Amino acid sequence: MKKKVLATLLATAMTVGCLTGCGGGAAESPAAEAPAAEAPAAEEPAAEAPAADEAPEVEAPATAEEGTDPVANLIAATTGTVTLKVWASEEDQDLTNKLLDDFKAAYPDVTFDITLGAESESTAKDTVLTDVEAVADVYAFADDQINDLVNAGALQEVVANYTFDVVNENATGAVEAAAVDGKVYAYPMTADNGYFMFYDSSVFSESDVQSLEKMIEVADAAGKKIAMDISNGWYIYSFFQGAGLELKLNDDGLTNTCTWNGPGGTDVAQAILDLTASGVLVDMSDEDMATQIAEGNVVACVNGTWRAETAAEAWGDNYAATKLPTFKAGGKDCQMSSYSGYKLVGVNPHSANVGWAMLLAEFLTNEAAQTARFEARGLGPSNLAAASSDAVQANPAIAALAEQAAYATPQRVGGNFWSPAETLGQILASGNPDGTDLQELLDTTVEGITAPVE
Amino acid sequence: MKKALNAIGNYFKNIGIAFVKGDVWVKLSAVLMGAGYMARKQVINGIIMFLVEALFVVLCVGYAAPNLAKFGTLGTVQFEQVFDPLTMTSTVNDYDNSFLILLNSIIALFLIVVFILFWIANMKAVYRLQIRKENGEHINTFKEDVQSLFNEKFHITLLTLPAIGIILMNILPILVLVAVAFTNYDQQHMPPNSLFTWVGWSNFKNLFTDSVTVTFGYSFRKVLTWTLEWAVLATFTTYIGGILLAKFINNKKTKLPKMWRTLFIIAIAVPQFVTLLLVRNFFADSGIVNTFCTNIGLTDFLRNVGLVPSNLSYIPFLTNPGWAKVMIVIINIWVGIPYQMLIATGVLMNIPEDQIESARIDGANPFQIFVKITMPYMLFVTGPSLITDFVKNINNFNVIYLLTQDVYVTSDQLLANSNAKEIDLLVTWLFRLTNEYYNYKMASVIGIIVFIICAAFTLVTFTRTIKGDKEEEFQ
Repeated sequence: MKKKVLATLLATAMTVGCLTGCGGGAAESPAAEAPAAEAPAAEEPAAEAPAADEAPEVEAPATAEEGTDPVANLIAATTGTVTLKVWASEEDQDLTNKLLDDFKAAYPDVTFDITLGAESESTAKDTVLTDVEAVADVYAFADDQINDLVNAGALQEVVANYTFDVVNENATGAVEAAAVDGKVYAYPMTADNGYFMFYDSSVFSESDVQSLEKMIEVADAAGKKIAMDISNGWYIYSFFQGAGLELKLNDDGLTNTCTWNGPGGTDVAQAILDLTASGVLVDMSDEDMATQIAEGNVVACVNGTWRAETAAEAWGDNYAATKLPTFKAGGKDCQMSSYSGYKLVGVNPHSANVGWAMLLAEFLTNEAAQTARFEARGLGPSNLAAASSDAVQANPAIAALAEQAAYATPQRVGGNFWSPAETLGQILASGNPDGTDLQELLDTTVEGITAPVE
Repeated sequence: MKKALNAIGNYFKNIGIAFVKGDVWVKLSAVLMGAGYMARKQVINGIIMFLVEALFVVLCVGYAAPNLAKFGTLGTVQFEQVFDPLTMTSTVNDYDNSFLILLNSIIALFLIVVFILFWIANMKAVYRLQIRKENGEHINTFKEDVQSLFNEKFHITLLTLPAIGIILMNILPILVLVAVAFTNYDQQHMPPNSLFTWVGWSNFKNLFTDSVTVTFGYSFRKVLTWTLEWAVLATFTTYIGGILLAKFINNKKTKLPKMWRTLFIIAIAVPQFVTLLLVRNFFADSGIVNTFCTNIGLTDFLRNVGLVPSNLSYIPFLTNPGWAKVMIVIINIWVGIPYQMLIATGVLMNIPEDQIESARIDGANPFQIFVKITMPYMLFVTGPSLITDFVKNINNFNVIYLLTQDVYVTSDQLLANSNAKEIDLLVTWLFRLTNEYYNYKMASVIGIIVFIICAAFTLVTFTRTIKGDKEEEFQ
């Protein structure tokens, strides 16, 4: 009897457990729940067409076939409340909230329940990949994550535009960054996520900042430092790429091709060793740079627009920014390259309201939104019209990015790149303490970078 | 061991007896559960049994069978989605989700095992009823059965909820995670968009292999060595430190002992992660401690001695492997000692005063008393907690991770190639593999290894320290 009762209870508990399990499983098929799934509403588009007056720049892209307006279809087919979850970075919350209100106002006939969560663009991937089905319907992320996100099926392909032409109204680089294998998977939001050189113009003249060696000389004379996060794959790339060595993602979208250990590779490694041996160019994390700039020890640094405010505050009128300098490798001057960076907005294909999510993503990245984002936070627009405004053109950081753009490449690299490159930077920045042969050092790094992915 | 075997033997013998000696109703119970109860007029019991059986059959057909059918492959139908630009909606095919298949199959298997045990218990109970009836003994009514659950069988009622909790929260997830170690579940095989499947022991092989591209073997040895070094250092430094601190505070010459004790307890009251993150900033390369050391000339001195690499203008407290390891141990002493002090204070107060008194009369000096009386007593009383501490330190995620995350960059290329760092414990390595690299399969393998190490260590030491005869040995 004793065992029986226990067993009964256990069995009941297990039953409950697995019934909920079943429930979870049944709710899997998101398409079945999309409110617009099988509404044959194609006949009533004429009734109301608020989309037309909502977005003045509708240019009827390829999708508006035979007078059938998909947005009107969608509005007609939407009966219940449209629930959407949006992720934007902590700093972008106020602006996004305002844009969400505008979005709701643009479609007065639809009831929305939109919640806004905070998720940094730089870490969006980490949260998204944990559970692809549980993420927000619309989320912002940095373009370096796009490959992993597409591989994991976390991005809805942008097969059609409804309120503006995403491909032609944004800068070519931004659209390239939002595309994988020629297919666009996201909506460009900003074009300012790359890096360049900040400097204090009271220390450096405009001709000084053309060459890293010259900069070191000047800074040394002033007893100050130049900062760069060398022990970071993202930044160390600028030396090797600048010297003409190659690092790229293979067609499989997972593994890398890397020629850093090829001819000229050791020259670059030696150059980094020489540059840091001066003690003037120092390996420093982004956080440390902020304090060191404020304290006045660092008078120039390789960093991005997110540090523009720190630098502008510390240096006041002497705050200046320009493209990255050249450096000497194997006796010749090489222009440092960089990764161009964009912030993108993506739509989760597992969303129950994919249609609305796409419309919202367009709304958050259209010209008006990008202009508002620049005005509120100084973020450089990827939208051509927004970027051509005088205010944007006059911003030193954005101008420097534009200057660097000629030497920048979009970031397309497999996950195996980061750890080995970071360690290479660490070893070189600390002066190769074990005295490892440079060729051997690069060989091991490249082995790690190009390691097969199972 | 023999006892256990006997018990298992008896368990199955009893079913045999029930089958052989049971009457028609008992035999019928094998197919139609509840029949035996019905025959003895326990109608409600009979109905419940029957319902349970019916439910089980429904579950088998509707839940267990479809999942278990795919258990061998973990699914074959790839996720496909088509978006219609005109209606702005997507359609999804009827795809397989490998993880759900794995999870549901394990739940299903578990249910089946539980049901078999339940069925066996039922057979025995029904046979017992038959014997009671034959002997003319009293057969409980349903009401009496329920009442017994609140009286002589109250322990069953009490333990049901915790037992269910442990099964749902611990046992099932652990089984799933163990199963993951035998699959290729990683970033390239993530449900729902991709399938993963069984790969046998190949992940375990990888963990013990050194090759040009697979450096898991090398990293595993390095990380394991540091994990054990760390666990020993961390446990003993805080243990000895805690006892000494408690002794100092308890000393009659110490003024204001209560104040000192309270001050150290305040250190516990501040959440550990706050302390650790603050300390990490203090000891950053351009942190306050470094500024101070530079100003008083300590940095230059250390550089001249050769403890700080000559090209650095700061002390690499948390960024150089050697420095970081020492700093981690020291910071852990600081964070961990107050806990040990609390425990030690309690134990020290209980040392029989007469032993110390007689030792003193015999002419023992304080140091001798400490070594010959206090320490053996402490070790005897706190032995088990010392072992627990050691195991806890093997898995001491907080200290290592919070102090070094985003700060420490490895300069060992082979470690870097398998995403490990010199200061990683097995558990922080595991965390990084899952959280940053989505390498669930390797993380699962490492998790199993950590479990084996901890379990083996605990078993061996516990059986050696808490054996019954030790108490007399101490006396």
